[in-house]
Amino acid sequence: MSAPLDGLRVVVHASGVAAAYAARLLGVQGAEVIFVEPPCGSVLRDEPPFVPSGEGAKPTSALFAYLAAGARSIVCDLTAEEGRAALGGLLSACDIFIDDTPLALRQAGGLDEPTVTARHPQLVHVSVLPFGSHGPKAHWKASEINLQHASGEGNLLPNGLSVELFPDRAPVKIAGHFAEMQGGIAAALGALSALWVRDDVGGQFVDIASQDAALAVGAFAIQRLGDGSIEHRVERSFRYGGVVPCADGFVELLTLEQRQWDGLVKLLGSPQWALDPALADSLERSRRGPEINRHIREWAIVRKVDDIVAEGQKLSVPIARYKTPAEILRGSQEHHRRLFQPVPVSGTGLVNMLVSPVHVDGTPLSLRGGPPELGEMNHIPAEVLS
Amino acid sequence: MTLPLKGIRIADFTVHNAGPFCTQLLSQLGAEVVKVESAMRLDAFRKPHPVYGRMGPATFDQVASNKLSVRINLKKAEGAALAKRLVAVSDVAAESFRPGVMDRLGLSFAALQAVRRDLVMLSVSSSGQTGPDSHFAGYAPLFGAWGGLGELTGYEDGPPVEMRHVMDHTVGMNAAVAVMAALHRRRVTGEGGHVDVAAREVAASLVGEALLLAAAGGEPRRAGNDHPRMAPHGVYPALGEDRWISIAVEDDAQWQALCAVTGIAPDARFASEADRHAHRRELDGLVSAWTATLPAEDAARWLQAAGVAAHASWTTPEIAADPHLRARGAVVEVTEPDGKRRAAVGVPMRLSKGEDIGIVRGTPALGEHEDYVYGELLGMGRAERNALEEAEVIY
Repeated sequence: MSAPLDGLRVVVHASGVAAAYAARLLGVQGAEVIFVEPPCGSVLRDEPPFVPSGEGAKPTSALFAYLAAGARSIVCDLTAEEGRAALGGLLSACDIFIDDTPLALRQAGGLDEPTVTARHPQLVHVSVLPFGSHGPKAHWKASEINLQHASGEGNLLPNGLSVELFPDRAPVKIAGHFAEMQGGIAAALGALSALWVRDDVGGQFVDIASQDAALAVGAFAIQRLGDGSIEHRVERSFRYGGVVPCADGFVELLTLEQRQWDGLVKLLGSPQWALDPALADSLERSRRGPEINRHIREWAIVRKVDDIVAEGQKLSVPIARYKTPAEILRGSQEHHRRLFQPVPVSGTGLVNMLVSPVHVDGTPLSLRGGPPELGEMNHIPAEVLS
Repeated sequence: MTLPLKGIRIADFTVHNAGPFCTQLLSQLGAEVVKVESAMRLDAFRKPHPVYGRMGPATFDQVASNKLSVRINLKKAEGAALAKRLVAVSDVAAESFRPGVMDRLGLSFAALQAVRRDLVMLSVSSSGQTGPDSHFAGYAPLFGAWGGLGELTGYEDGPPVEMRHVMDHTVGMNAAVAVMAALHRRRVTGEGGHVDVAAREVAASLVGEALLLAAAGGEPRRAGNDHPRMAPHGVYPALGEDRWISIAVEDDAQWQALCAVTGIAPDARFASEADRHAHRRELDGLVSAWTATLPAEDAARWLQAAGVAAHASWTTPEIAADPHLRARGAVVEVTEPDGKRRAAVGVPMRLSKGEDIGIVRGTPALGEHEDYVYGELLGMGRAERNALEEAEVIY
């Protein structure tokens, strides 16, 4: 059967992760994605880390490669009338336009909401900015680390073993582009929701803020505030379990239900301390968490991760290895799920790239290809694109 | 029309957080979500959560709000039959049990497709519906561990860091995109489909560039608050106990602006971006000396006025009270059953032709909407419902 979004065309004009990620999410579902770039290329092409490349070859940004995989690139110089007209032509022939141009620069490029709406009334126009296009902070700048701290999770990490070891250090950010990618996911959802009603109401403007999206996934902190509890990275650690050091790595252990605790006791070999009848009560276990953790850590540090995980999962104890990227790449589960697909990366050759966490009808989704060469579409006549 | 997904009905069998967040987002966009639950095994939010100071059921639950509630005891064959009747009048069926559970209940995709030919079914699980680990139990911190996000997060000289509920909800938001994509295909082709979302793969998808780097022979690793290009970049102490400010100097212009605001001398050590990165620890010390004397909010405002990316490290009360988030509807006020008002998180978008999106009702009582769902939608009479209640099917 066809990919879910076969036949849909998306134009993206992105200098940040969020907008580009939104386009990637739609592309991997089958949409055709056209990446509009300035003559010097999107700044994302210059973002490290870079994929190791052959001698003399210009290294490719791993970030750009991941975000733009499967897209096609077209250069439009939006500082010139000709470039703006070319983009206008593209927008007339697409369903969704995703743009992260800062508000102050939109009008000059003809990218402001009123202009785009007037010229392309059937277009779903998705604006993706750190703080959105509306509200007192709409003009504020933010990089990933700022967004994490503007939306809550930044202040709440690390927790568990890390904050236990380093209680006085500054909070630590989630790796990569977590908050910006939330903006991208929300933008993809907004785009498809607006598209759903396009036949009834025409195109519309979708205003996405990565801050809002990162806050949405952290909604439970607001909920707990309403319940009378202010979360803090020190206090919100699980009372026992969490990150547990083993002989050859770390595992994550989390038992929330009674049967899982019972399984853990078996996994530990039913030691005398764990058979204390008082520990049958979950509140008592919470209270004595540090003591329980001491026992768990003593037990785990002389054992290997794979042995603990295999035995634990057999007993339905939620336990997992902290996997390195290399371990994920050679994982049997990931191989079975075809999570990675070899794609061509300029200067490097075929490299395995993560495709999508989604399967449809028992089949993994697929990428149309690797990252595009700059302006690879520019030789295609305009009429073919429309 | 001001609710884009009005007219879509979802039979919601999801539990815990990831699946329920997906359907809750879709409900805020206008879908009618019927939450299937039972007194046999109460949802977590209907039980106390003493760790967070909640000694009884939640009076408001983010992921259960906005939904309709019906009781079905799926452990009984008649319960599965009733569930199928609900699915037959729904566009989407969503579930998040361990793979195999729906099959054992007689509610596999094939069984549900038999009652609703163009059904879109969503299955959310820790490792996906297939593969050697598909039976694994898991929660958010495990997804992060399996997916590499946990391993790559943390201080350079410290252990990995466990992801919390943000991980669950990221899975849910991805699932919502996938459901919408499947609905679009249904509209075009007339065919439904089975959407399978693996939570650990969602975690991996958030570090896709690091995985690509590793696949090409690189060795991505934990880097604390460092950025591979920018410096200064980090979280710096501000005036007051446990107060911090995040600063990211994105380019040369922002570096010059930072120097102008802070008085840091732009000497030769810091001439280029590469120089600044090489001397980032010295820079961190200089920036910290400036920020430590100032309230985080003031420092952030001054830096932003000069064009530097900066934001105070906000606590939850600061977020709940923020005028910007309130103006956007990202934080909204909801009313509890006793009339008490509290902050909640809205749907993370604004639509020019969808001004009514968002939370319209609070957390439902168990079985609160059975008159509508069983009576009006399914056309069940009082006697039939009484008999099913008697038999602990509606239970």
